[in-house]
This record gives sequence, C-alpha cells and structure tokens, in this order.
Amino acid sequence: MTAGPGLVAALRQTGELARRSVMAERRQLLNILPGLVFPLLLAAVYSRQFSRALAMPGFPEVDSFLDFILPACVVQAVSFGATAAGTELALDIENGFFDRLVASPVARFPILVGRLAGAALVAAIKAAVLVAVFLAFGAEVKGGPAAVLVIMMVAALLVLAIGGVGQVLAIRTGSQEAVAATFPLVFVGIFMSSAFFPTALMSGWFRVVAENNPITWVIDPMRRLVIAGWSTGDAIQAMVVPAVVALVTVCLAVRALHRKLGRS
Amino acid sequence: MAVRPAVEAEGLVRTFGDVIAVDGIDLSVAPGEVFGFLGPNGAGKSTVVRMLTTLLRPTAGTATVGGHDVVSGSAAVRRTIGVALQDAAIDPLMTGHELIRLQSVLHGIPRAVARARGVELLERVGLTAAAGRRVGTYSGGMRRRLDLAMALVHQPEILFLDEPTTGLDPTSRQALWEEVRRLNTEHGTTVFLTTQYLEEADQLADRIAIIDAGKLVREGTPEALKASIGSPTLRIDVQPGSLEAARGVLGPFGPDRPAREGRVAIGLDGGAARVADAVRALDAAGIVVEHLELDAPSLDDVFAEATGRRLEGAVDGS
Repeated sequence: MTAGPGLVAALRQTGELARRSVMAERRQLLNILPGLVFPLLLAAVYSRQFSRALAMPGFPEVDSFLDFILPACVVQAVSFGATAAGTELALDIENGFFDRLVASPVARFPILVGRLAGAALVAAIKAAVLVAVFLAFGAEVKGGPAAVLVIMMVAALLVLAIGGVGQVLAIRTGSQEAVAATFPLVFVGIFMSSAFFPTALMSGWFRVVAENNPITWVIDPMRRLVIAGWSTGDAIQAMVVPAVVALVTVCLAVRALHRKLGRS
Repeated sequence: MAVRPAVEAEGLVRTFGDVIAVDGIDLSVAPGEVFGFLGPNGAGKSTVVRMLTTLLRPTAGTATVGGHDVVSGSAAVRRTIGVALQDAAIDPLMTGHELIRLQSVLHGIPRAVARARGVELLERVGLTAAAGRRVGTYSGGMRRRLDLAMALVHQPEILFLDEPTTGLDPTSRQALWEEVRRLNTEHGTTVFLTTQYLEEADQLADRIAIIDAGKLVREGTPEALKASIGSPTLRIDVQPGSLEAARGVLGPFGPDRPAREGRVAIGLDGGAARVADAVRALDAAGIVVEHLELDAPSLDDVFAEATGRRLEGAVDGS
C-alpha cells in the first residue's frame, strides 16, 4: 500500500467520522442548549453584579464587564461540550459500535480524530454564536473579525485538548461514567483561573493557582484581543497552549488505543 | 488438501486473568462453506470470533483468515472479512442509508461504487423504504438485516455472523436464514456463524463444531453428528416415586441419556422396533407410563452426549 491512496482514504474516513459526530450533535440540539445557556446566564448575572468592580484599581481598562468575561464565557461553554467527545467514544465502546469500526480496515487514527474534529468544529460554531450574542448585547471585540476567528480557533483547540483526555479515559476504562467524572475538574479549573477576575486583584494561594493555571494562559491573551485590540503575539499565545496540550492528549489517546488493541 | 482453508485455527487459547475462555481450539473452514459454531452462552463462541476478526489477540495459538495471520496480517484480514457482531449497536441517530455510506467509506470504497451498491444492498435486505429513517425507529429484525447489509458493502469473501438471530421472532429469523443461504449459494461467500440455536445450526450449516467451556467437543456435518448418536432417544415420564425403578428396568434397552428432572431418557438400541418391548418391561414391573416419546437423533442429543447437558431452550421432548 502506498502512502498516497492510504492517506486519502484516511482523510476521507476522518471526514466521514467527523460528519457523524457533527450530525449527532445536530440531531440532539437540546443537549447542546444548556451548555450555551448556562454560561450566558452567568455572564448576564456577573455583568450586573460586578460592573462596579471595573472601577477597582488594577482592573484592566474595559468598556464593560461583558467584554471582560466574553472569553471566559466561550471557554466555559465549549468545555461543557468537550467532555462529550470522550463520553461518546466511551458509549461507542460500551455498545459495540467501536468494534464495528475496529473490525473494518479503517486506520486507528481516524477513529479518534474524526470524532474530535467533529466536536472541534461544533465548538468553533458555538463560539461564534456566543460572540454574536455578546455583540447583540453591546459587547465589543476590539481586535475585530480576526480576533473572533482566534476565539473560534481556541474553542476548537480546547475541545481537542480536553476531548483527548476524555478519549484516553474512554479507551482505558470503556465507561461513560468514568469520563463524565472529569467534567467537574474542568469546571473547577475554569473557576480557579483568571476567567472571571483578573489575577492582579487576587491574593494568596488562590492567586498562585490562578497564575499557574493553563486556562489563565489561554484566557488572558484572548481577553486582550477583545478589550485592547489585535496583537499577533496574543493571538499566537492564546492558541499555542491549547494546541500543545491537544497534540499531547491526542497522541496519548492514539497510543492508548494501540495499546488496548494490542493487549486485548 | 490443495485448497487453502478460509479459516484455520491451531491451538487457539484466550485467557482473561485466571479465566480460560478459549482453551486450545483447532478448526478449519473450507472456502464456500457455511460453518456453524454451536454452543451455550459463555462457551467461548464470541471470544473465538473476536480473535478471528482481529478484535482480540490470542493468548496462545495461531489462526489465519483468508490466508492472513490474525495477528501479523490483521489489516489484511480486516479487508477480507465482513463482520456482524452480536450486540454491536448501530448508531440510533443515523439513518440506514447513512450507516451504509459510513461503512463504505471505512472500507475505502469509491463513492460512485458505494452509492450503487448501498442501494442494491438495502433493497436486498428489504430496507429500501426504511433507509431514510433513523435506526432508532427500527425493529430488532430490521437492525439485524441492516447489520448484515453493512457487513457486505465490500463484498467480503468471508462473513462472520455472531449470533445473527438471537432475540428475533421466527419470521425475521427465517428471512435472515434465507439471505445467508442466498449469499452462500449465489456469491460463494464463506460463512462463519455462531449460534446457540440447534435449529439454526442444523438449517444453515454445512458443518458444525460444538464448543463447550472453551473446548471443541464435536465437529462434523449435522448428518454425521446425528448418525454418531446412532439410536433414537426414548423419553418416558413416570410417577415420581418410580423414577429409579424405571431407570433400572430400562437399563438393558440402551445407554442413559441426559433428561430433564422427573423423566427417564435412554438411547434405544434397535430403534422404534424395541419401544413395545420397553413398555412391556415397565408394565411387568408395575410402573405406569404417563407419557412416552421417541425422537430421531438431534443435534441436541449430540450436544447432550458430548457435554452431559441440554442446550438452554432446546426442546427436551416436552
């Protein structure tokens, strides 16, 4: 088998499996809604409650709290969906659909990446929807359309990163529950970052945790793109962290799959 | 034999921890054959199929499918075989048409070819009208038929069917049998079928292997296996109190056979001609016969003779 046709087939298979996961989301739209509505509600509540925080010394220069929490809201919303890439793989393993894939000549890579790619695409769309809602309520993205594009990219990459972890767990345990159990960790991770408050105004151990939280490293440059304006450096910084994590977790997932198929 | 076997296993073993699921199985399936793998639940049928279809690595032993080793040539095996696994769910959110399409892409079939073949396959299994509906709305029989169609998109030489009719109603079962027969006779497809139904093995298989507790206990054509039992089975119901006495009286007429509680069964030497003698002997001993039946040797008898047990759900002459 030459690499050419093999690669084309693998890409087609990845595309088809991505299509399947997008289709699954589209046909269960009700499952997506809470993931979009909850962060929006939180944003609405916070922007009323904390609008006076903007006046605090040390708080970044922003027009409204809405602009400030836009990135946090996007990160939160896509994280809701990210674990789904793992739980759905676990579901496939539980009910045997996975065996069907594995018993076909499809390469191992598309089985994992196809699903993640679909989830990542959905995340990018969710991010765009959220930004549109924020804009409708008067938020402003200073970085312009390019910044919106970066936000969408970050959303997609985050899903790859978090979804990859979910897939590793799915392959190791084959249990939906085990994968779903990681969700609170992601949730707490977001709260212990700069998502809802600048680290400059934090103190003590919480500040140490938040400053060393990778989610902070993603949210801070994203936020500067929204409230300050376009900067190529910030754009790259926002994408690099989730990209590197995604690369690592997807590789781990592929390795876990090879191990499982070799060992079992 | 000059012809390369479609499936061949030598000393196949699979353990899960301390549990020996498959304990040294040798088998050989000729091209174009329908091979029935018969055994009760938990006998190791599915584990063997999972090893032959490359889903599970053997702990020991070797196997080839279509001439390819299941471990070193697993990719080639997967291109050769079609697989319809027991309980392999099909995504309820997708339509029959979409699943056929997905399966075609997974097998790397060019789009134009895949489209035509998908239409033909759905037609063949009688799902043309339902092809646009989500699989979640399908009946059990429809799902199995779709499953079969999916296993055939790449026109495999060898088809593995793991308990294809478990849980189906008799009509759906018949329809699936028809389709398997047609595939075998019209396309020469080799079929490796596992089942816990004696009738299914008897109806479909050219050759049968019986597996129990991970070991092959009998192998041969259904006719040869039944002939090996020789005598028909005489089953007699008597008053509970005289069960042991009846067993004693019938002893000289032939070997004991497994029977359900409260019933005596023997392999009647000399066949039907000896029934009257047996009844007379019981009568002479003052034992009242409440019910009597004589059955030609069945696969159930073969199974019972090999394992000392009856297959669950088998008709124990009741």
